[in-house]
Amino acid sequence: MAENNKKSKNKNYRKGLDIFLFLLPAILLFVGILIAPIAVSVYRSFQKWNGFSPGTFIGFKNYKDLFTSGSIHFMPALKNALIIAFFSVFVQLPFSLLLALLLGRKYKGERFFLTVFFMPVLISTVVIGQLWLKIYNPDYGILNRALIGLGLSNWTHVWVGDPKTAMGSVVVPTIWQFIGYHMLLMYAGVKGVSPDLREAAMLDGATNWQVDRYVVIPIIKPIIRTSVIFAVTGSLKTYDLVRIITNAGPTHKTEVPSTLLEDMLFLRNRYGMGSTISVMLIILCFAFALAISAVFKEKEY
Amino acid sequence: MEERYTLKKSNPALKVLVYILLVVWAFINLFPIYFMFTFSLKSNEEIFGKNVVGLPREWLWSNYSSAMNTGNMGLYFVNSVFVTAISILISIVAAMMATYALTRIKWRGANFTNAFFMLGLTIPLQASIVPVYVILSKLHWLNHYSTLIIPYAAFTLSMSILICTGFMVDIPYDLDEAARIDGCGLWGTFIKIIVPLLKPAYATIGIYAFLQCWNEFMFANVFISDKQHRTLPVGIKALSGAYTTDWGPIGAALVIATFPTLIVYIFLSRRIQESFIAGAVKG
Amino acid sequence: MKMKRVVSTVLAGVMAFSLAACGGAAPAAPAAPEAAPAEEAPAEEAPAEEAPAEEEPAEEAPAESASSDEAITLNMWCIATESDSNRHSYEAAIADMEKLYPNITLNWEAFENESYKTKIKAAVSADEMPDIFFTWSCAFLGDFVNAGKVYCLDDVYQNYKSELPEVMLGNSTYEGKHYGVPLTMNIVGLFANMDLLKEAGYDEIPGTYDEFIKCCDDLKAKGIIPFGCAGKETWCVTEYLESIIEKSIGADELNDVFVNGATWNNQGIADAVDTFQEMISKEYFDPAGIGLTNDEVKANFMDGKYAFYMNGTWNCADFAANDAFKDKVKVAEFPVIDSSKSKLGQLIGGPSDTLAVAASSPNAEKAAEYAMELGKYICHYGYLDGCGLPAWTPYGDTSSINPLTQAVSEICANAETYVLFGDTAMTADDASVYLDYVAQVYGSEIDGAGFIEGLASDLR
Repeated sequence: MAENNKKSKNKNYRKGLDIFLFLLPAILLFVGILIAPIAVSVYRSFQKWNGFSPGTFIGFKNYKDLFTSGSIHFMPALKNALIIAFFSVFVQLPFSLLLALLLGRKYKGERFFLTVFFMPVLISTVVIGQLWLKIYNPDYGILNRALIGLGLSNWTHVWVGDPKTAMGSVVVPTIWQFIGYHMLLMYAGVKGVSPDLREAAMLDGATNWQVDRYVVIPIIKPIIRTSVIFAVTGSLKTYDLVRIITNAGPTHKTEVPSTLLEDMLFLRNRYGMGSTISVMLIILCFAFALAISAVFKEKEY
Repeated sequence: MEERYTLKKSNPALKVLVYILLVVWAFINLFPIYFMFTFSLKSNEEIFGKNVVGLPREWLWSNYSSAMNTGNMGLYFVNSVFVTAISILISIVAAMMATYALTRIKWRGANFTNAFFMLGLTIPLQASIVPVYVILSKLHWLNHYSTLIIPYAAFTLSMSILICTGFMVDIPYDLDEAARIDGCGLWGTFIKIIVPLLKPAYATIGIYAFLQCWNEFMFANVFISDKQHRTLPVGIKALSGAYTTDWGPIGAALVIATFPTLIVYIFLSRRIQESFIAGAVKG
Repeated sequence: MKMKRVVSTVLAGVMAFSLAACGGAAPAAPAAPEAAPAEEAPAEEAPAEEAPAEEEPAEEAPAESASSDEAITLNMWCIATESDSNRHSYEAAIADMEKLYPNITLNWEAFENESYKTKIKAAVSADEMPDIFFTWSCAFLGDFVNAGKVYCLDDVYQNYKSELPEVMLGNSTYEGKHYGVPLTMNIVGLFANMDLLKEAGYDEIPGTYDEFIKCCDDLKAKGIIPFGCAGKETWCVTEYLESIIEKSIGADELNDVFVNGATWNNQGIADAVDTFQEMISKEYFDPAGIGLTNDEVKANFMDGKYAFYMNGTWNCADFAANDAFKDKVKVAEFPVIDSSKSKLGQLIGGPSDTLAVAASSPNAEKAAEYAMELGKYICHYGYLDGCGLPAWTPYGDTSSINPLTQAVSEICANAETYVLFGDTAMTADDASVYLDYVAQVYGSEIDGAGFIEGLASDLR
C-alpha cells in the first residue's frame, strides 16, 4: 500500500527514536508484568518445586510427564479446550457475525438489540454460572422439566454430573455468554463500512446478502481475524464457567488447562508442573494465534 | 438515506423471520438480568429449589443492606471504579501509541514486534500470580491502587493493541500523507489525525478492557491484603463462608456491581453508534 | 508425611496414648532431595527465630524483642469472613484480647476459604506472610514448616500446657515440635431428619448397621431418599466413604493407611468401598447428587428431601439456627459395620483449624504468645456458638450451647480414636490423587478393587 513513507535518510535516526518513544510505555508494561513472569515460569518448568522450599532441577521431566502421565490429565484437558475452541469458531462466531450483519442493516430497534445482545458479557460469570446450574439442576432444572413436559422423560439427565453430558453443559453456556462479545466487535467493523459503498452496490442490483458477502465481510476481515484469535486463545484459557458449572468434574471429564494449572500451582503444590503447563499453554496459544494470522493473510491474496 | 434501497430489496417474510430471531434472542439475553435481580431478593431456600425463577415470595431487601453494611460494598465499588478507570486509560494511551508505531510507520521489525505483543493474549493469569507478586513484593509495592492498576493495564494491553490495529488500518494512509505535506511530524500526525479519528475505537477498547479489569479476581485477591484497597470481586467472594453461604446478599452485591455497569454500557453503546455515524466520511 | 493418630477423650482433656504428629518431610516423592526438613534449630536456641531452613529471606532479627512493653502492631489473616459462622467468635475473642494486650494492635483481614489457599501459598512463596495466619493442620501447614517459614511454638506452649491438652497438638506437630495453635475441632456426624424417620416408623436413629440398612429400605419403601451427597465437591463424598471404611476395618488400620504409609492394597478397604457402592446401587443415594454442590445438597436436606446427611459437625450451628428445622434434626455416629474390627467411638475428624506464626515476623515471640491466647478465646467463643468442639479445655458456662453441638460433645466424650479427614492428613498432591479416586468410586467408574489398586500404585 502506501509505501512511499520513506523520506530522506538523515531523518532515519529521528524516526528510530520516535518509534522507540511510541513503543516505550507499552514495552515497559509488557516486559515488566508479562514477559518477566514467563521467564520465571520457563525456569521453574524445569524444576520440581512446591512453591516455597528450594526447587530441584529435573530437566525436561515435567514436559515428559505432561504428555505421558495419565494422572496429570493434560491431554484430556487440552482436548476439552480444543472442543470449546472448535464450537467457538464454527458456531459462536458465525452466529455473532450474522447478528452483527443483521444489525448493520438498520433494522428498527438496532440500538436496543445491540445493547441487549451484549449484556450477558457484562454480567458476572458467577451469576451466569448460577443461572445455568438452575437450568441443569436435575430436580427442578428448567431443562429436565421441559423434557418431561414434552413427554421425553427418558432423555433427562443429571446434566453436569453425567460424564456423557458434562462437557456439553460447559460448552453451551461458554459459547452463549460470549456471542455478544464477538458481535459487538464485528458490529463496530460493519458500521465502519461506508454507507456509500453499500449504496453503490445496491444500485448495481446487489441484494443485502450479496453486499454483506462481497463488500462488508472482506472489509471487516481484520476484525474477524481478531475475533478468531480471541475465540481460540480464550477457549484455551477457559476457566470461570468450568469452575462454577462442573468444577472440572465428574472425574476430570471437563478438565481444561487453566483449571489443571490452578490445581497444580495452588492445590497440589506442584509449582514446577504448574509452570510447565503454563509454558505449554503459552506456546499453544501463540502458535494458534500465528497460524490464524497466517491463514487470514493467505486468503487476502 | 440508503433506507429506500434496503426497503426495495427486502423480502417481507424474511424480515419477519429476522425480527422473530432478534426478539427471541433478546429475550434469552435479558433473562439473566431478571434472574440476577430476583436472585438478589431471595433466601437460600428459594434460590435452591423452592422458587428458582419466579418472583421472590418474600422480597428480602435486607440482602442489600447486609451487602452494603457487613460487606462494605460501597468502598469496594469506589475502589473498583478507580482501579478500572485508570487501568483502561493507561491501556488505551499505551496501545494507541504502540499501534501507531506498528502500523503507520514503516520499519523493519514492526511485524515481529506486533507478534511479540500478541504473546500477551496467551498468558494465563494464574501462572503470573506468584512471579508478579514476588516482583511487587521486592519493590515494596503491595497494597496500593497502583499494585493492581499496572498489572491490569499490562494484561489488557495486547487486546487493546489488537483492537486498535483493526481500527487504525481502516484510516486511509492518504491522510498521513496530507498531514506530512502540511508539515506535521510523526507526533503531530498522531495527535492531530490519528487520535481524533480513533474515537470509535476508544469506546470499543474501553468496553473490552473494562471486562477484563472489572471482574478480575485472582490478582486482586493475592496482591491486596487490606480492606482499604480491596475491589468488588474480592469483596463479593468474601461474602461466602467456609462451609455455608448465604447467597441472597451475594446476589445483592452482584447487582450492585453489575447494574451501574449496564447503565454506563447503555450510554457507551449510544456513543459508539454516534461516533460511527460521525466517522462515516472516511472510506 | 507421617502423622500419628490423634487419640484422646477430648472433652475430658485427658491425654491418652502417644502422639507424634505430622512430622518431618514427605518421603513419598521419588528422587527429589528433601526440602530441608524443618531445620533442627540449635537446641535451646534463643526463642526469637525458628531458623529458616534455606534461602535466607533476610529476616531482620528482632533485635529489641526484649523490651516487652513497647507498642507493636501484628497482622493476621484468617478465613472468618463476615458471613462465616466463625466470625462472631473471632470478633469476641479479639475484643477480649484488646483489653488483655493494650500494647498490641491487631490488624486482621478475612478472606474467602478457597481463594485464601492461593493467597497464603503465594504469600509464603514471596515471603509476605502476616505475623499470624490461619492454616489447616497436618499437610497444609507441614509444607510451610518444611520450608522453614513457620515459627516454632514449643517455648510459648509451656505456659499453656494446663489449658491445651498436648494431644490436641498432634496435627500441628512436626518432628516433635509444635507449630500450630488449634482452634476448634470437628468430626463427621450422621445428621437425620427425624420427621422423615418417623414416617418410616423410626423414633431414633438406628444404632446397629443391620437396623440402619433396614431403616434405609423402609425409607425407600415410603418414597423417601435416605442420603444426599454432593458429588461436585469430592470432600463431601469422603465424609461418607471414610466413615464406612473406618467402621469396616477399624480406626487404627485406616489411620495407618492415611498417614503411616501402610499400603492401600487392603482388602478391607476394597470391601468397604463395595459396601458404599452397594448403597449407591440400591439407590440409597439421591442420583441427582452427583451433579450438585454441598450448598444445594444441604438445602435439600433442610428442605426434607433426604432422611440422612453425613457431613462435618460445623453444620450444627446452621441447623440449630434454622427455626423450622432445628427440632427435626438429630445427630449420631455412623453404626459399626464389622464389629470384629471396629467399634463405636471410632470417629473421623480432629482439630484442623489452626493459627500459626510466621518465622519472618519481626515480633515472632510476641506474636506466638498472642496467637496462643487468641486461639484460646476463639476456641471458647466458637464452642459457645456451636461452630465446633473445643480443642482447648472448655471453661465457663457452656449450658447455652445448642443441643446438636451438645449431642456431638457427648459422642466425642465417649470417643476412643479419631482419624483425621483423609484429604487433610495427606500431602496436597496425594490428597488430590486420593480425591480423584473417591470421585470415581462415587461415579461408579471403578469398584473397590480398582480403588485400592489405583491408590496403591499411584501413591506409593
